[in-house]
Amino acid sequence: MKDDYLWDGSGEPDPEVQKLETVLGRYRHNPPAPAFDQVAEIRNVKQRRNFLNWDWEYQLGAVAAVCVLAVTVFFVMRQRSTRNLGPSWDVARLEGAPRVGWHSLGEKSGPGKLSVGQTLVTDSASRASITLDETGRVEVDPGSRLRLVTNGPGRKRLSLERGTIHAVIWAPPGQFVVDTPSAIAVDLGCVYTLHVDDSGAGLLRTTMGWVGFKLNGHESFITAGAICQTRPKIGPGTPYFESASESFRNALSRFDFEPHTPAERNALLGILLVDARKDDALTLWHLLSRVSDADRPGVYDRLASLAPPPAGVTRDGILCLDRQMLDNWWSSFGYGEIWLWRTYESDWSQPSRNTK
Amino acid sequence: MERQAVTDWPAAESREEDSLVSAARDGDRVAFGRLYDRYARMVHGILLARVPPREVDDLVQEVFLLALRRLHGLRDVSCFGAWLGTITRNRANDYFRKAIPNEKVTEPVDENHAESRAANSAAEQEAAMVLSVVRGLPDAYREPLILRLVEGMTGPEIAARTGLTHGSVRVNLYRGMQLLREKLAGTARGASWA
Repeated sequence: MKDDYLWDGSGEPDPEVQKLETVLGRYRHNPPAPAFDQVAEIRNVKQRRNFLNWDWEYQLGAVAAVCVLAVTVFFVMRQRSTRNLGPSWDVARLEGAPRVGWHSLGEKSGPGKLSVGQTLVTDSASRASITLDETGRVEVDPGSRLRLVTNGPGRKRLSLERGTIHAVIWAPPGQFVVDTPSAIAVDLGCVYTLHVDDSGAGLLRTTMGWVGFKLNGHESFITAGAICQTRPKIGPGTPYFESASESFRNALSRFDFEPHTPAERNALLGILLVDARKDDALTLWHLLSRVSDADRPGVYDRLASLAPPPAGVTRDGILCLDRQMLDNWWSSFGYGEIWLWRTYESDWSQPSRNTK
Repeated sequence: MERQAVTDWPAAESREEDSLVSAARDGDRVAFGRLYDRYARMVHGILLARVPPREVDDLVQEVFLLALRRLHGLRDVSCFGAWLGTITRNRANDYFRKAIPNEKVTEPVDENHAESRAANSAAEQEAAMVLSVVRGLPDAYREPLILRLVEGMTGPEIAARTGLTHGSVRVNLYRGMQLLREKLAGTARGASWA
């Protein structure tokens, strides 16, 4: 297949991709590696000579200072590890005067730190960013309130109580989580924007990779280009692509969050099935486990016509909501490996206090 | 442009790489040199997606020297690729902050056009035009496309180096390629590109 050629160079070559490779190949990296070993040697020799040339009193003082520092660091680190705090997030002011706790970050003040339990607040004229080298960077828009809940190794958890954040996460999938009042967002390797309004309702838009949303047994996978809304006491709705038709999006919102009679529900489901495009397989896959047993065959048939199930996934299995078959069907879409979610979601199932 | 098909990234490769990062973090510069050999194309590609081509080689060296100085602070060796990618993107952003003070960090369109004008031969002009179109794509698409089409990395290799999932890279490559085809058709309709 030509797609395989774009992916890994295998299969039938795609002439257009080959031409682009040839044309753009002139920009390819080819300079030799710098002599890193020499850079290091110069620095080490200089440091060693400097220390050996010191007077013995200074050498003794330096050794004593290092010992005191080591003991201090040992006790501080031990205390931090028992409290599972981890390194603080660096807070940078982008606009206005964001606050960390009672401390306000003004134009003249330097960057701040966000530790476990502390809250970052931006007013209507403030913006800030928080960064942790090993995890990622989160930009916080005006009118937001963000708290650091957990910061242990491999477990970073924030709580967005209101406002908007833009997250770029480079930590391994499943290590970064954001609680909102109506869902838990688990990063699965991605770039996304998360908004929470004053009522606690949320909206997540994924730009790259995918995010898992979960609450009260509802789970939603939001892939690049997709959106998912959440509501307090209901949890995450069904994700959909922004490019879906207006009637499709309206019907889905009413289907997920508004009370309706069985007849109205049938009508809404009818709109969803008729208006669904190939890309909307994302939405129909989620609907499989959200509709009644009576409605499921219709959803299956429409989804199978848009994205045929892979080998081993049967109609009967899907109608019985066989977990393995549902997962295999999802994996065939190519949006992301579902084992990531199955591995990590149980670690984060317990919501923090602000999740309703 | 021969390339061996790679569909899975070997676990042994990852383990060996973790060992290299650990050794480099402990001061082994030969190990760091080997990491350079593995990651230079990724760094070059990320920079090429953001800064003028003539600046890229120097910035690649700067990024690795910066990484060498900061490597002791990396706690999880398996995150090296993603960590290095972040340093690279930050360095690209710094480039524009220093070059154009008080302006929003955006792609320098005029710079691209200047690059195109400077290109002498038809082949160079064509390459500059195509690169300019790729660089005009959304962030999510231009980086994997440049790593694939310019640096010759495979999809699994891009995922392994950048720390992204196969699914993310695959989707962004395909959608990016689709968008690139449309843009090229629109940009160079009637010109040499077909």
